[in-house]
Amino acid sequence: MNYLKEIWASRELLANLTLRDIRGQYKRTIIGRLWSLVNPLAAMLIYTLVFSFIIRVQPDPGDPSGLDIFAVWLLCGLLPWNFFAMTVQTSMGSIIANTGLVQKVYFNRLVLPLASVGAIGFNWLFEMGVLLVTLVLCGAFVWPWIPLVALTMVILAAFATGIGLMLSIANVHFRDTQYLIGIVMQIWMYLTPVIYPINLMQAQSDRIGTIPGTGFTLIDLYRLNPMERFVEIFRNLLYDNRWPDGGTMLYVTVAALLSLVLGLWVFRSNERKLAEAL
Amino acid sequence: MTIEYLPLDASADTGVAVRVDHVNKRFRLYHERNQSLKSAIMRRRKSVYEDRWALRDVSFDVPRGSTFGLIGSNGSGKSTLLKCLTKIYWPESGTITATGRVAGLLEVGSGFHPELSGLENIYLNGSILGMSRKELDEKRDDIIEFAGVGAYIDQPVKNYSSGMYVRLGFAIAINVNPDILVVDEVLAVGDAEFQEKCRQKFADLKQQGRTVILVSHSMDLVTQMCDHAAWLQNGEVRAVGEAGPVIDGYLGFVGGGSR
Ligand SMILES: Nc1ncnc2c1ncn2[C@@H]1O[C@H](COP(=O)(O)OP(=O)(O)OP(=O)(O)O)[C@@H](O)[C@H]1O
Ligand SMILES: [Mg+2]
Repeated sequence: MNYLKEIWASRELLANLTLRDIRGQYKRTIIGRLWSLVNPLAAMLIYTLVFSFIIRVQPDPGDPSGLDIFAVWLLCGLLPWNFFAMTVQTSMGSIIANTGLVQKVYFNRLVLPLASVGAIGFNWLFEMGVLLVTLVLCGAFVWPWIPLVALTMVILAAFATGIGLMLSIANVHFRDTQYLIGIVMQIWMYLTPVIYPINLMQAQSDRIGTIPGTGFTLIDLYRLNPMERFVEIFRNLLYDNRWPDGGTMLYVTVAALLSLVLGLWVFRSNERKLAEAL
Repeated sequence: MTIEYLPLDASADTGVAVRVDHVNKRFRLYHERNQSLKSAIMRRRKSVYEDRWALRDVSFDVPRGSTFGLIGSNGSGKSTLLKCLTKIYWPESGTITATGRVAGLLEVGSGFHPELSGLENIYLNGSILGMSRKELDEKRDDIIEFAGVGAYIDQPVKNYSSGMYVRLGFAIAINVNPDILVVDEVLAVGDAEFQEKCRQKFADLKQQGRTVILVSHSMDLVTQMCDHAAWLQNGEVRAVGEAGPVIDGYLGFVGGGSR
């Protein structure tokens, strides 16, 4: 409880550091904040070319929205994924990136990873805004789902923050962490139905049947991944325009809480030693 | 192992601003210093570190309202002690009790963002030092005035000279209005005019009953400004008390050692 109070007391600092990150990010570039859109757009073009045009992956049309555009379908999963991956990577490096501060001034160290979550979340909001406009132009009826989208964004942010907190500590002690996580994130992305629809995985799983000796099917294991659930929820809301499954919502909420509590605990029990470990 | 900041309550003031009580601080020096998983696993088998006690059983009181000098040779533990005072390091054992608001000036400009303007950095750095937005709104003019960087206040701080950096950082830290100000040899970079300004500021703080703890290698400065001092040698307190005798003791030691 006391710890929460301390965090609350640092909210102004958190806001300022977040602003610092946001303002400093695209200084001295010509197109400025638009750069934050270029990345997902480039990824969208590449994946659409490779997966839709060449490999001919075909996700189901949105039900009931009736949308059937691969690029839009892709973005509904890719933007949340990118946010997650970027948040984990950046908050992981946030302590090391601010070595000068940590060694010279006392303040609640937690604000460093949180500020990177904030700065990336800010870009994500911007991207999601553009996506919403695109969806509306394509004829999706997204308005009623916006509150739920916002809620899921918060839950995903909590999930990513927890993981980022744990890794930020690990990274101070072992710089291997950042390289390892770079690879883990790539694998994780392909284990999540971001650029291909889950029904391809479902088909494989049905073909194999239960894995001998376990009673599980492949898809059961596949769906343990909380990011799979998040992507499903975002697609349900944005692309299909329908209610996500209640169990799935519960699953991601529990995963996010666990991640956040564990992350805070790990961070808290190590923050005093940070200055000298750096 | 505690560092405690108590609120300053004038009626119950004991006359001690900071009490350092049997503080020990250890650094672990690993022999292969690359921080990797491989070395961690190797380390498990055979521990290849050496403990270095940067502070050994350090105890002293800093009287409220004094200007307290901390002197000693390079590597004697002065900066480490200041970092313990400001909660950057946590000692292995012992307690530090500070009564009142503590602000440290261990390295100015460490919270500055090079691409942001001086003014934006005042707000950023101020909030890192624990000032609220309202406080900063009130004090920004004082800060700008004290820093004396003039029109450069709207320029990115990467265009500042190192003296201007120090001036701005010092101006912000001073305006935190700490009951206890902790300063680690940062003034040397400022020009004569700025050093005079600082001296004046320290005198003002003293008049207001505030405490300043400063580390310096300039015995002239310490003699001139400090009324109390402590001399650290190899992490141990060699002398503490009135500034004069402590400085003489240290100078005598240095003179004798170099012969
Ligand atoms: N982060 C650290 N890791 C390992 N050893 C450290 C660390 N910081 C300081 N030390 C060691 O602790 C001892 C005291 O260092 P400290 O910086 O406190 O000295 P100092 O009195 O401030 O010296 P100077 O006058 O040169 O500034 C030194 O031997 C130094 O090598
Ligand atoms: Mg020093």
